[in-house]
Amino acid sequence: MKISSGRTKAYKVVSFIILILLAVLFLFPLYWIITGAFKPAADIYNQEPVWWPTEWVAKNFENLFNKRTAALFSLFGIDGPTGPAAIRWLINTVFMSIMAMILTCLTAALAGYALAKKRFRGRAVLFGLIVCAMALPKQVILIPLLKEMSALNLYDTLWAVIIPTVGWPFGVFLMKQFSEGIPGEILEAARIDGAGELKTFSTVVLPMVKPGIGALAIFTFINTWNDYFMQLIMLSSNANYTSPLGIATLQAEGSVDMGLLMAGAALASVPIIIVFLIFQKYFTQGITMGAVKG
Amino acid sequence: MEKQSKRDMSRTLQRRENISGYLFMLPSLVFFVGFVVIPMFLCIGMSFTDANLNAKTATGFVGLTNFVNLWQDAKFLDALKNTFVLVVVTVPAVTLFSLWVSSVIYKMHSAALSAFRCIFYLPVVTGSVAVTVVWKWILDNYNGILNTALKGAGIIEKNINWLGTSGIAIWCIILIMFTTYVGQPIVLYVSALGNVDQTLVEAAQVDGATNFQVFWRIKWPQIMPTTLYILVITTINTFQCFALIQLLTSGGSGTNTVMYYIYQTAFKLTEQPGHFGYANAMGVMLAIFIAILSAIQFKLGKEK
Amino acid sequence: MKTIRKALALVLALCMVLALAACTGGTEPTKAPESKAPESQAPEETKTPDEPGTEMAEEITLWTYPVGNWGDEANVKSITDAFTADTGIKVTVEYLDYTNGDDKVNTAITAGNQPDLVLEGPERLVANWGANNHMVDLSDLLDDTDKKELLPAPQNACVNDAGKMYEYPLCMTAHCMAINKQAFEAADALQYVDLENRTWSTENFIKAVNALYDHFGDTVGVVYCNGQGGDQGTRELVINMYGGTFTNADHSKLTWDDAKNIKAFQTLYDLDGIAYDASVTASDEIAKFYQGVLKMAFCWNSGQQLNPNAADTGEGKTVTGDDIIFMCQPTEDGSASRLGGGIWGFGIFDKGDASRIAAAKEFIKWVCDSEHTVDCVPNGFFPVRSTAADGASDLSAFTDNAMVKEYFEVMLPRMGDYYQVIPGWAGIRTEWWTMLQDIGAGTPVEEAVAKGTTAANAVVEAAS
Repeated sequence: MKISSGRTKAYKVVSFIILILLAVLFLFPLYWIITGAFKPAADIYNQEPVWWPTEWVAKNFENLFNKRTAALFSLFGIDGPTGPAAIRWLINTVFMSIMAMILTCLTAALAGYALAKKRFRGRAVLFGLIVCAMALPKQVILIPLLKEMSALNLYDTLWAVIIPTVGWPFGVFLMKQFSEGIPGEILEAARIDGAGELKTFSTVVLPMVKPGIGALAIFTFINTWNDYFMQLIMLSSNANYTSPLGIATLQAEGSVDMGLLMAGAALASVPIIIVFLIFQKYFTQGITMGAVKG
Repeated sequence: MEKQSKRDMSRTLQRRENISGYLFMLPSLVFFVGFVVIPMFLCIGMSFTDANLNAKTATGFVGLTNFVNLWQDAKFLDALKNTFVLVVVTVPAVTLFSLWVSSVIYKMHSAALSAFRCIFYLPVVTGSVAVTVVWKWILDNYNGILNTALKGAGIIEKNINWLGTSGIAIWCIILIMFTTYVGQPIVLYVSALGNVDQTLVEAAQVDGATNFQVFWRIKWPQIMPTTLYILVITTINTFQCFALIQLLTSGGSGTNTVMYYIYQTAFKLTEQPGHFGYANAMGVMLAIFIAILSAIQFKLGKEK
Repeated sequence: MKTIRKALALVLALCMVLALAACTGGTEPTKAPESKAPESQAPEETKTPDEPGTEMAEEITLWTYPVGNWGDEANVKSITDAFTADTGIKVTVEYLDYTNGDDKVNTAITAGNQPDLVLEGPERLVANWGANNHMVDLSDLLDDTDKKELLPAPQNACVNDAGKMYEYPLCMTAHCMAINKQAFEAADALQYVDLENRTWSTENFIKAVNALYDHFGDTVGVVYCNGQGGDQGTRELVINMYGGTFTNADHSKLTWDDAKNIKAFQTLYDLDGIAYDASVTASDEIAKFYQGVLKMAFCWNSGQQLNPNAADTGEGKTVTGDDIIFMCQPTEDGSASRLGGGIWGFGIFDKGDASRIAAAKEFIKWVCDSEHTVDCVPNGFFPVRSTAADGASDLSAFTDNAMVKEYFEVMLPRMGDYYQVIPGWAGIRTEWWTMLQDIGAGTPVEEAVAKGTTAANAVVEAAS
């Protein structure tokens, strides 16, 4: 007994040390982005890496803001002021992610409920198709999708990124798994009370699958935000870029100014990190609740 | 029971069920069919042609030529191998690692728990492109901080060309991918482990079961649904991996994947005759492999 | 079994629907998304006003690669603003890069959304997009005066064998290499360099690299071969060392496996101070040279010399203030090397709208053949003509910068054959990088080069 507990203790200490080391590995990129964004050029170009900025400067952000400009609010049809493109990219990214999130949650909640609770014909086949398509990388359908978007006149708009994301059936799968848990008796009771289909859905089903929707919302938001590939294919003008695409473009452009790049990365990631830290509790709750039924 | 009641359902009821079912499905189907299913069929169709950007050289249907050529294309086979390595390494590694981390942290004090959970989730919210860009700098051959630090500590004598050496670059990519993928599984496992029925655990401990036995016999079956879910999302994410390859190595140094090669064939090598058809043929092959993999995963899941 | 049958039935049904859709000419039966995209669509549509009667479109789009300060938004904006003030035609500019630029243009062509104007070189405009019928023939812009005014080299590169002109040239330069003077001094290697003529022999180059390596103990120059970005520089380095060629004389076959080239590949591989590095792109190399990490850069030209790394920290200086000396690539007998050519100009994408083409041509004339031309040539680059605007604007005194003048007199005449117009350029570049990566990874040089040459010649054949 004693040996065993001693061993357990040793295991605990060792694993704690490993955890700390891993935490450093996971934190390091962020630390390097933020310090890099505020380092003066002398630190950036120093042949020996500089661990901490010798002086905190805003020059990198200044360069970033001056490099490219775009109309800030034309996304909303407003002929607003022209400002740093990096800000516009952020606005675009937020708009795109929120739209994709809302549309996905809406359509997936409806479809998931139907797949789980409605015994319509072709249900099994449809579900099979959804499962098959779930792991399909977008690269596979890249060319037809591009042609489709251009035929619909949506190429080089954020909708060309949003729509395929909404079509991606993972959300339906998740919501179906989640809707399975709704007891049939409750639905039956609602019907006997004379509630219509939509009423049943909004008053009975929705509240019960809310945690699932939360999980899906977070998942979709982050996935859309990070879906660099679709953004790369579908967006061609600077004013329609997103933050990830903008940073990648900065990296690709002639001068390899790491300070500028880090400023771009910081601007793109720090806002979402702050949101994450504030809503951390809801974030983790949302993610876990959705998976109980996974 | 269910089958019985279904059979009893009158025709009108079934029709009502059909109509309402499809009406509920409609919004989702519009997107799914319009932007996944139809493109997939167009992709299959195009894979039998020599479609390309420069229409003047297209002649149309070429049968299975593209598929035959694929299996003689050393680059494609190499890309296929790399894709396979990525998935086979990343998926189990992410799953096992996140299970281990969660099992260590889930009993910790709540502040420590949420701190660790946050830290491991940070790369996810930082965004894959931002993370990639900074890693590229960290791993730089000449002035990356990793080489400097290792040299300073006396571990290595000469710079290691992390991203420029075949055999090393792919592991760097796997490592970075790994850091951006484990966040969600850890959150999931922490909560799944917290939900394990404690009375069963205690009963087993009273019976003298070791920690390992408790874990294997009691906890593991209970967290199985979570494990399956993690396997599925990690597989999906691994197949979506693109930014890392494009931004770090552009498919060089033995890191080409089918996903990247499709993009490259479609939009970079446009002077190659029939490149759209060829890229689509690759897409079809990839889709087939993924379908097989998903089928295996689901089958395993069902058996368990 | 039953599910499988049902699945098959569904697949068949879908195929039929698709076939129907294809027959009726629409690929997209769903209309829902369109109605959901009002706000982002509205500004897009106003971009193309189709006013009957007006001959010139009021708005055109220009995509520019970063050719000197044509990649700099402030500079380009001042040019386009002046053009708009003169003509009333608005120009929307997008900035491409050499990493993803080609993919972006090709994607846009696929989507039918290509720009009206693009600024790049003949390897893309003439040999690729032009040869594949995506571009407008510009020979009507070229009258007899222009033919006399334009220098023969850029003129020849911009017109293809069939006499079609797919690029109207604006500027040019010759690609050379550069060394860090202070580093060479420290390693006592400056003695190997003919500073007056800016030349050196291959033997001296080897001695210099070894001296630098002995002194600094690390890689001093990089044969960069990351699969994207620039590839000029490495080509000229290899073919000049022992007098090889890149293609045959009529640009129909690659000659990488020439014994002279193989010797050069091998020599570079054997040098401790030179690394074949797959993690480095051309722009990375420039940045590392600018930073002082590398002691020589193979990707260099007058524009870089004027503003190293586009960092605005002073002509001919690294970030630490070391002097940068531009040099020819080494040759066996120490004579001047054949420098790589760079020619840039405008091409017009044919989108079937005559008014847009007319407006784009107006822009080309305004920029390339008018009194504005002298201001439009990017800093550090050279005009491709002696005079513009039918002789009204003299371009011979386009600069008063001493370095640029010297470059013009000494280096520009050394420009070699413009072989980049060989068919299949994009694929050839890819094979070139793959081959360099193979050599760097330790494949025997002869084997790697044989493989690379065969693959690249297959690309040429497929594309011609």
